[in-house]
Amino acid sequence: MLDFVQTSIDGLMVGGLYATVALGITLVFGLVGILNFAHGQSVMLGAYVTFFVVSAGYPFWLGALFAAIAMGLFGALLERAVFRRTLGDPLAGLAVSLGIIMIVENLAAAAFSPDPRFVDPPVSGSVQIGPLILSSQRLLVLFVSVVLIGGFNLFLQRATLGKAIRAMAQSREGAALVGVRVPMISRAIFTIGSALAGAAGALYASLFAITPYMGATPLTKGFILAALGGLGSVPGAIAAGFLLGLAESFGSRYLSASFRDGYGFIILIFALLFLPTGLFGAGKARV
Amino acid sequence: MNRSKWIGAIGGLALGLAAGATAHAQTAGTIKLGLIGSLTGPHSGWDAPAAEGVQMAVSEINTAGGVAVAGKKYKIDVVQEDAQSKPDIAATATQKLLSDDDIHIVMGVLTSVPGVPVATQTAKAKVMYIGGFTALDGIVGTPGKELTFRALDTDQTVASGFVPTVVKELGIKKVGMLMPNDDISKTVIKAYEPLFKQQGVDVAMIEYFQPGTTDFAPVLRKFQSQGLDGLFIGYADPDAEAIVRQSLEIGNLPKKFVYRGGSGSPAVKYADKIDGFVWQILTRDLASPGDDKVKAWIERYKAFTKKDIVSNTYWALTFYDAVFMLGKAMDAAGTTTDQAAIAAKLKGMAYDGVRKMSFDANGRAVTDVDIGVIKDGKTYSIPEKIL
Repeated sequence: MLDFVQTSIDGLMVGGLYATVALGITLVFGLVGILNFAHGQSVMLGAYVTFFVVSAGYPFWLGALFAAIAMGLFGALLERAVFRRTLGDPLAGLAVSLGIIMIVENLAAAAFSPDPRFVDPPVSGSVQIGPLILSSQRLLVLFVSVVLIGGFNLFLQRATLGKAIRAMAQSREGAALVGVRVPMISRAIFTIGSALAGAAGALYASLFAITPYMGATPLTKGFILAALGGLGSVPGAIAAGFLLGLAESFGSRYLSASFRDGYGFIILIFALLFLPTGLFGAGKARV
Repeated sequence: MNRSKWIGAIGGLALGLAAGATAHAQTAGTIKLGLIGSLTGPHSGWDAPAAEGVQMAVSEINTAGGVAVAGKKYKIDVVQEDAQSKPDIAATATQKLLSDDDIHIVMGVLTSVPGVPVATQTAKAKVMYIGGFTALDGIVGTPGKELTFRALDTDQTVASGFVPTVVKELGIKKVGMLMPNDDISKTVIKAYEPLFKQQGVDVAMIEYFQPGTTDFAPVLRKFQSQGLDGLFIGYADPDAEAIVRQSLEIGNLPKKFVYRGGSGSPAVKYADKIDGFVWQILTRDLASPGDDKVKAWIERYKAFTKKDIVSNTYWALTFYDAVFMLGKAMDAAGTTTDQAAIAAKLKGMAYDGVRKMSFDANGRAVTDVDIGVIKDGKTYSIPEKIL
């Protein structure tokens, strides 16, 4: 029983991180209609920003804040310079984002070297809660992920921009008719999605190795989650993130760790067979 | 600069040019050496220094007038291709090298994924190949691979001295093994598990993780509360560092690590938090060299590359000696192009370069290596005399 609880908490801790990445993907794809494969690069660059800020002697949290801001700006730039021109042509958008992956990845490898880097986490060691032994840093990552996700939901419900995003999610045309500036909202969504990726990159950096090639894993998992949760569905992405974290944790613990990434795909296949629009998807975006 | 120094400098330059012209006049020809490796991509940490080692050896040989073969001197011209850490690119790059009729020997590649297509294609084209990657162990010595060599010791060779040293240094009694799920790991475990048992160490559990795993917490949980006092881990630095770090992070796990890998860097940052970390320095210890030849090589390396020594620099030494050995084999065979004759001379040849090196009858290198240890917050190395 103890083992079961411990494995569940491990899964939730990583699941929070996955959900943060998936949020950005589901927003950009579900609401703006851009299949941004370069989202993983924002996670990677966010991790490097954090690494350099922390290496310069500043606190981790400042690094995470810088990562979110820098990636938000990076996302806005990409949207303005590249993705806006591919809006009507998803295939072109896909090709462009693949090109961005190659460019960013190789530039990062040239600039930062392919050697893995590790960021000193803000907290270290483990805490014992009764018989449970939990990693302090992972608990912190779970806490921050929940705060980010909760804060984002609050933003969607309360802020004017959030309400405009929700209006656009219900009907792009309807939102435009009532005065919502759809292109501006699209840009905002892209910026917010990238900022979330930057923040997720900082959280990744506090747990895992940073390399120029690290973007592929969060990207793959992020897309699985976005599809699993229902494209454009914020609650779906969050639920799917935690579900994947639990599936990987239980699968690795009780079945085989050598099939870790396969568990997500198994869930996705079953979910798509029985819930074709995803866990929370109803055929259109839901925020 | 005063007048006498100017005259000296110009005189030196003139003498240098004259010596170069003389050397050129005496050069009988050029040996084209194919050099392949991942200069970019995630495997470049291994192959870029390896390529530097080849270039450095070639530069020194050429500066000395070239390779002496049957009384004539041949300069070496390196033709380099980037495998980009990808097997398909490695295959294309190999084809490019093989399309040059003057290239009879190809060297390089320390990682198995891009390495296998290089070894396969060079063997098919009957071109001599000296690589370093682990999967090459299963290739050298097989029919049709008579021209294929591995410049690194096999796991069997290294493990025979490594395991007793590890057991003595760390005082371990019960270990768990955690490796990526691939053929290399299975070969490694096959080599090490019986040796641990011979040393009276109980190998209590063996687990494999998916290659590319970043989160080891779930699989590490399996090792908790098993009464283990050591973890045998492999075989890439990023995995090893992640395992060490996450073991400390989740707690209740052994703090002694046996690393089937070539660098102490995964544990350096955690030296004061762990009880021990032992790894294989597959050449000589460059961080704290005790050998004058190694010390001199380090200085030459720094001068040639304009770089300082880092943990991966020793991959440069892997191929450095092999280039000189190749030249010696050419001289012994009396040819620069007859690969079968050169290969025959290389097999069984003993070479005393920066380190001692030989190739067995199948083409597998046997060299002196060092074992690195981090214990009680201190880092040191133990020479493992194989030759």
